[in-house]
Amino acid sequence: MKRANLFITVLFVAFSLQAKAQTSQPLKLSGYLQTDQRILTKSPNDWVWNENRLSLQLEKKISGKAKFYSEVWLRNIGIPKVTTASDLYNKGIIDPWNLEIREAYVQLYGFLTKNLDVTIGRQRIAWGTADKINPTDNLNPYDFEDILDFGRHRGSDALNLHYWLSANASFQVVYLPFFQPDNLPIGIFADIFSSPVNLSFPEGMTLQNITTRVNAPKYNLKEGSTLGVKYKGMISSFNFSLSYVWGWDGLPMLTDNTFTLADTLGGVNINSILSYHRRHIFGADLAGNIGGVGVWAEAACFVPVNEVVMTTDLSALFPGTPYPVIYRSTELKKQAYFRYVVGGDYYFKNNGYLNVQFLHGFVNESGRGNLNDYLFLRYEQKFFNDKFKICPLSGAVVVSNWHDIKHNYAIVYMPEISYMATENTEISVSGLLFNGKGNDLFASFNGYDMLLFKMKYSF
Amino acid sequence: MQTLKFKLLTAIAILLAFATKPAQAQNASDILKKVDDVMYASKDMTAVNKIELTNRSGQKDYREATVAQKGTSYRIFRFTKPSSQAGISVLSLPDDIMYLYMPAFGKVRRISSSIKNQNFAGTDFSYDDMEAKPFMEKYTPKFLKEDAGYYYLELTPKSNQSAYSRVTMSVNKEHYYLVEMTYYDKGNHEIKVANYKFVKIGNYWNAEQITMKDLKKQHTTSLVMTDVKYDNGLTNDDFTVRKLQE
Repeated sequence: MKRANLFITVLFVAFSLQAKAQTSQPLKLSGYLQTDQRILTKSPNDWVWNENRLSLQLEKKISGKAKFYSEVWLRNIGIPKVTTASDLYNKGIIDPWNLEIREAYVQLYGFLTKNLDVTIGRQRIAWGTADKINPTDNLNPYDFEDILDFGRHRGSDALNLHYWLSANASFQVVYLPFFQPDNLPIGIFADIFSSPVNLSFPEGMTLQNITTRVNAPKYNLKEGSTLGVKYKGMISSFNFSLSYVWGWDGLPMLTDNTFTLADTLGGVNINSILSYHRRHIFGADLAGNIGGVGVWAEAACFVPVNEVVMTTDLSALFPGTPYPVIYRSTELKKQAYFRYVVGGDYYFKNNGYLNVQFLHGFVNESGRGNLNDYLFLRYEQKFFNDKFKICPLSGAVVVSNWHDIKHNYAIVYMPEISYMATENTEISVSGLLFNGKGNDLFASFNGYDMLLFKMKYSF
Repeated sequence: MQTLKFKLLTAIAILLAFATKPAQAQNASDILKKVDDVMYASKDMTAVNKIELTNRSGQKDYREATVAQKGTSYRIFRFTKPSSQAGISVLSLPDDIMYLYMPAFGKVRRISSSIKNQNFAGTDFSYDDMEAKPFMEKYTPKFLKEDAGYYYLELTPKSNQSAYSRVTMSVNKEHYYLVEMTYYDKGNHEIKVANYKFVKIGNYWNAEQITMKDLKKQHTTSLVMTDVKYDNGLTNDDFTVRKLQE
């Protein structure tokens, strides 16, 4: 209901702006309708993703000095999950849908001084020069809902000041007043970020229930806010930037487990707490051309403000012991760790395009020693004046332990064919094949090979 | 006496033969420089480009973009139609620096200069063809011939990265605007032909319509310039990353 109210408010603001500034450009409505369907290739071919997304984008430029922009997603997403007769009365279960404001902001150009641009409202602040996966892109929360859409972020409510020192140099300050956590994957990959629980209890004891509480930062200016600063410049035809973020990791870590006896028959309950941690992030990136090859590099140094320790209290299971039975393990040390990307791309004369990236540390990985290596590669070939595109070579190779590659690797292959059926209608069919062993994210996709169909109509 | 006269005539003929070659080379450069002067006469220009693509079976697709250009090195190209491409913008700056703005990703990306190898947005023009760089900087001209209305030149690319081995060009003798260009691939096959229609707007000759035909694919792109405005007082500040994402 709140979301619906917010949507109506955004529409009202948009139309008010239109009414008040008749001399400025009219309100522009654009967007797209996209259907995204996926099934597993393994019999009985379970349907694993059903999304019909209507993206509505409203934009209005006001006298060349300001812009209003918003993007709203109205979606039918998910498979009907009817388990009880009462579910049949619930349209939200039979036909799940949601409404989401991705962005809604006002941008003021030349605010107070001609070199300052100010953006206020929910906005996407995309930092970094790498392709899709950017270690320095840490202001907006990750949107992990569709885990296969790597690098997707939600918009954040923010104040964004961008001061242009010259055509090629600028200084940016971003303030996010409150913390917005990452949202986790849904569907078959819902548990992908949960560590596998491998518990062995003393004889006669069985696990009854696990409850997990999330300890989020308080929503006040002191505790929940995030600050980011960035300097962009150019040296010898290479664009570069240096950045700093004082913010939260949007993915929580397990910090407390308390075991309690549920009954006298040996049943055990576990009460867990997930907590977020604050960190300093120092970033740098660059992009340019070497001999016609586009090149980029991007690195971020993450420094946790505090050590993250997990406490496991087993005292209730050992009532006879005179002291509390508590184990402590360090989940994240207070030491710097680096995620980085280096990559390049090249456009061939035959309308082919090659993009290669090497990545150290995926978006969900943190802590020195926990970062895996990824090689992403994509070759596209366009035909018939860009109407038809094939990607015969697209995927990733992952190594999570170089000393034992045989048991710690993943290979992802994602061939794709797309066709522009009309100027505004794109149809694509792709496959996703996984093979791997070990604990990395992609290896855990093993067994979920799938076929994907997408159709997008832009208006 | 006859022998001496013959020798003198021969000497004059040889002298003339040697003398005409540099004169023609000079002539070709002069002509090409004048073509550049016509093409880039204004300080700046803004226009709307209406692009019509026609395939071999006659099916048509349309694109529309606004273009702003200053001198021979600064240009912003923004697609406004079709909806699937609307908002995609390309900024070209000196030293082959190019940026691409994709609204869907909300950020500006530096583009590899190898993109010049490719067709521009599905048209029959390559990024290289669309570049606002003077011909004299890109090609070495050679005079081929002339007739009552036109000069004919052959241009050889200075860069070995060019997709073409040579380009032939016909130029209007009176006003020095382009009439036709024929492009040859590295195997010296005729691959594309561009026809130009110039009209005078104020003090400047404007390429109102350019039709590029890909001879192999039998695909044609017609680019019509409308709402052309010259000398708008654009500065380098109008061709920045800041402007690209506005």
